[in-house]
Formats: sequence, structure tokens, C-alpha cells
Amino acid sequence: MTDQDWLRQLRVEIIAAWAIAKKDMLIYYLKPNIIVSGMLFPLFMFLAFAVGRPGEPSVLIPGLIAITILFSASSIEPVSIPIERRMKTFDRLISAPVSLHAVVLGESMSGFLYSIGIASVPFLAGLIIFGTPILQIAPLVIGVLLTSFCFATMGTLFASYPTESPGDIMSMLNVVRLPLIFISGIFIPIDQIPGIAQYATYFSPLTYGNDLIHAAYSGTTSFSPAVDIMMLLVFILIFQFAANRLYKKFNE
Amino acid sequence: MNAIEVSHLTKHFGRLVALNDITFSVKEGETFGFLGPNGAGKTTTIRILTGITVPTGGDAQLFGRDIVKDTIAARRTMGIVHETSNIYTDLTAWQNLMFTAQLYDVQKALREKRGRELLELFGLWERKDDKTNGYSKGMKRRLTIAMGLINDPRLIFLDEPTSGLDVQSNLIIRDVIRDLNAKGVTVFLTTHNIEEANLTCDRVAIINRGMIAAIDSPEKLKGTIQSVQSVEVALDPVPAHAEEGLRGIATVSEVRKLGDKFRLITEDPPTVIDGVMAYAKAQKARVISVNTYGPSLEDVFIRLTGLDVRTKGVRTVD
Ligand SMILES: Nc1ncnc2c1ncn2[C@@H]1O[C@H](COP(=O)(O)OP(=O)(O)OP(=O)(O)O)[C@@H](O)[C@H]1O
Ligand SMILES: [Mg+2]
Repeated sequence: MTDQDWLRQLRVEIIAAWAIAKKDMLIYYLKPNIIVSGMLFPLFMFLAFAVGRPGEPSVLIPGLIAITILFSASSIEPVSIPIERRMKTFDRLISAPVSLHAVVLGESMSGFLYSIGIASVPFLAGLIIFGTPILQIAPLVIGVLLTSFCFATMGTLFASYPTESPGDIMSMLNVVRLPLIFISGIFIPIDQIPGIAQYATYFSPLTYGNDLIHAAYSGTTSFSPAVDIMMLLVFILIFQFAANRLYKKFNE
Repeated sequence: MNAIEVSHLTKHFGRLVALNDITFSVKEGETFGFLGPNGAGKTTTIRILTGITVPTGGDAQLFGRDIVKDTIAARRTMGIVHETSNIYTDLTAWQNLMFTAQLYDVQKALREKRGRELLELFGLWERKDDKTNGYSKGMKRRLTIAMGLINDPRLIFLDEPTSGLDVQSNLIIRDVIRDLNAKGVTVFLTTHNIEEANLTCDRVAIINRGMIAAIDSPEKLKGTIQSVQSVEVALDPVPAHAEEGLRGIATVSEVRKLGDKFRLITEDPPTVIDGVMAYAKAQKARVISVNTYGPSLEDVFIRLTGLDVRTKGVRTVD
């Protein structure tokens, strides 16, 4: 392929990815089970841990934003992809003249945009109800964008498991998502996590996302923002390529 | 250049051999039929040719492009109509079509023009803004085919396009296939409907248990078994045990009941006609009609696959 062919194909891939994302938005954004898992679930999780503990809104709000993103970004694809397998519409996506990367990206994009919308709820609540001051806007914006994209891609990765039932993927996903809440410094600061579990925090993308978002409200980070951003990008790339690999493998 | 060039294609699913060394080619502009019973390997062949599944062995070229090595380029020229009518039932017909067009990079003005033409062609224009979950089976099938044509393909794969549809949908779809053929589009269709293959295809491959038993034009396939001819008779009233009685006539090798008529397979129609007259007279029945037929594609099919159409659920007419 010449350079021009590559550019042309790149354009085609992006158009296709966007078309896939739009289709998901039209179909799934208003489905009740998506709203429950994307919005109510993180809220209840959060209340279960936050209520009764002393805490300033400036500590609780970033935590709530991070948990909301964790759950809402990975709530569309684990539902949409198994259903597409059942309805055989998934065959359309994997037989289109685009790479699997475009399919993975498109599916992730719907979760990504959904999550940004949902995360604005705790953000606005903090701003309007509690008047929580935001010290730095850049880490907040970058943190929300990258964390959303990261967990959206993780959702697409889990949805590669060849099942026609969304429940299968949701339960696998929860095995990973629930522990992440505890090892990512949201309720328990990282340096207070006992012993070996502390090392686990480094393997959680939520650690870095939470750290960035936290920085916006507290002005301090456990790692530097540059490390947080780099680690989130690394996780996104790993998830994207792993998903591409698995979708290919499960089709053979 | 051939539209499709398949050589020594093999596909295993675990220990099951779904395709066993199949080789064939389809010329540009041809309507080519894959005719075979359930589980023969028709869908598997289409899934390999469209790059959804990879073959275990052998290779396939579409307009000279290898489907495994050059998948995306090979796919740009094709339209695909999957076995199941896989439309998004939460979307309208129009949204379904526009979505497919975007996957195939059809520009906005063009996709809207073609979208309208196709929906009108398939009699769906008035319902274009209805969610498709309320569509009938035939409407869903027609929309699926419209989606397969939105990118104006040079080659279209149709996996059982008319299976289980009513007469009206069937006729529309057959007309469309004929028009595509007239426009020079290459059509690859699978079917277990022998009459459909006979009516629409330039050439037919008969596939059974993952192997191709014969490939030729319907007429030539019939020519290979000249010995099988038949006489069709209708008697009034139908005598008791008519099938047995008719089987007793000299040179009749087999009797098939077709509605209120009987088809007697023979190598020697004149002798059978005499026999039928004598039989009718003895049974005090009148012969209301007699027709003689050359071999049908159905006969070829039975001969080559060893399948009896009446017992294996292969339909001969819709
Ligand atoms: N993904 C798969 N895993 C395992 N076996 C498969 C798979 N796909 C197809 N097969 C098997 O391969 C064989 C051929 O199947 P295929 O779907 O190609 O048949 P077909 O000719 O399309 O039949 P039908 O007329 O019923 O559609 C069958 O025995 C089928 O069970
Ligand atoms: Mg099939």
C-alpha cells in the first residue's frame, strides 16, 4: 500500500468506527438495564462505602467520579456485543471492509461517550450542591477522558469472550471491577494499603485515573500527572491490542 | 480474471471436516449456485469467502485478491447477505441501510440516493421510518438484501436468499437477482431449493458433506443422467393403493406422489403410458392428464448425493 492508500483506509476506518458507535448510542443509551448498571450501581457502591465515614466533599467527589467512570464506561459493550452475536448482526461488523481495530474502537467509543455523560452528574453535583472547588482543570479533563476510554476499551476486551449472554460478561467484569475499587486508592489511600496488596495498586488503571482526577480537587498526586497519563495510555494500548487479538482468535 | 477462484479449500471444526478439499471458480458476471442439503458446508464456504472464518487449508481469491492475506481489499468489492436476516431491530429500515453504507464508505449523497432506490425496489419505502422489529419475515429478508446491495458490489454473496418466504417476497428477490445478473454483477448464492437453482443459476455446484459432487449448468447436469425420465399422470378417482399399482407397471423404477398426481420414473415413457392406460381401465378410473418429462435437476441431485429428497427435507418447489 502507498501512503495515500494508508491515509484513505485510516479515514474509512474512523468513519466506520464512528458509525458503529452511533448505532450503539441509538440502540442502547436509553435501555433501562444500561442506565441501572451505568448510573445507579456506582452510586450505591459509593454510598455503601462513603456513608458514615468522615470525609470532605473534595475527597469524596473525585472518588465518586472515578467509580462512576469505572462502571459506566464498561456498561455498553458487554451488553451490546453478546446481543449482536445472538442477532447475528455481529457478522456484519466483522465482515465489513475495515480492520478489527475499527470495530473494537467503535464499540469502545459508545461506552466512552456514555461514561463522560454519566460522570458529569457527580461532577456537577459537587460543583452545584457542595460547591467543591476545583483547583486544576487540566488533570480533571485529561483524567476523565483517559479513564473513560481505558475502561471502555476494557469492556470491549471482556466482551470478546464468545457468548451470546450479556450476564456472562458482566459477571466476569465484576470479578475485576469490584476489587479495583479497593486497590486503587479511592477509599483507602495507597500508602495505607497493607503489605503486598500495595503492589497490586500499580496494576490497576483506576489507580492512575483516580490519582489524576484527585489532583484536580486536592492539588496533590501520589504519582506525577505525567506518570498517570502514561500509564493510562499504556493500559489503553494493551486492552486495544488484546481485544483485537481475541476477536480474531474467537472467530476462527 | 475470475470473480472467485477457490482451490483445495478445507475447513475443520475440531474433528469435523466441514469442507473437504473443494475447488471451483466463478466467472465474472455469472450467477453461480451452491446447492446442497443441511450441513453440506454452504454457509461455511461463504464465511470463508467473506473473510469471517479462516480456512484450515487451501486458498480463495476474489478478483485476484487473496481473502486471507488481503482481506479488506477483497471485501470492498463484495456485498454479503447472511443466512439469518441480521438487521438491527431497534433501528428503522433507513437507519439500518445508512449504517451499512457507512461501514462500506459510501458517500452521503450517494448512500441516500441508493438507499431510496433500494427501498423502493424492495417495496419498503413507505415503511422506511418504522422500527424493523415490527417487520414480517419477508420484509426483514428484503431489507437484508437491500443492505447487501447498498455499496453497489461487483460480487454478491446470498446465503439462502429466499428460504422460507412467501411468493411475493420470493418473486421480488428472484427479479432482483436476474437484474443484477443483467447488469454484470457476479452472484454467488446458496440454496437447498433445487427449483431455485434451476431457475436462477448459470452454473450449479452440488455440494454434499463438504465435497463437490458436480459442477455444471443445470441443463448439462440433467444431460448426464438421460436415463431418468418420467411420466406424470392424474387419475380420477384415485384408485386405492394407486402407488403400489403404478409401481407394478413395466419399466417403472419409482413412483412419487406429487399432490394429486403421480410421477413415474422410467427409461421408457411410451411403455409406461400404455401401462397406465391399462391400469386405469382395470381400476375403472379416468386418466385426466399425462405429461412426460426429461430428467430434472432434482434427479441429478438424488443421483449424486444419494439423498432422497422426500425424506431429507430438501424442498423441490416453494
Ligand atoms: N462454528 C462451527 N463450529 C463447529 N461446527 C460448525 C461450525 N460451523 C459449521 N459447523 C459444521 O460444519 C458443517 C457445515 O455447516 P454449514 O453451516 O456450512 O452447512 P450449510 O450447508 O450451510 O447447511 P444449512 O443448509 O443447514 O444452512 C455442519 O456439520 C456444521 O455443524
Ligand atoms: Mg447454511
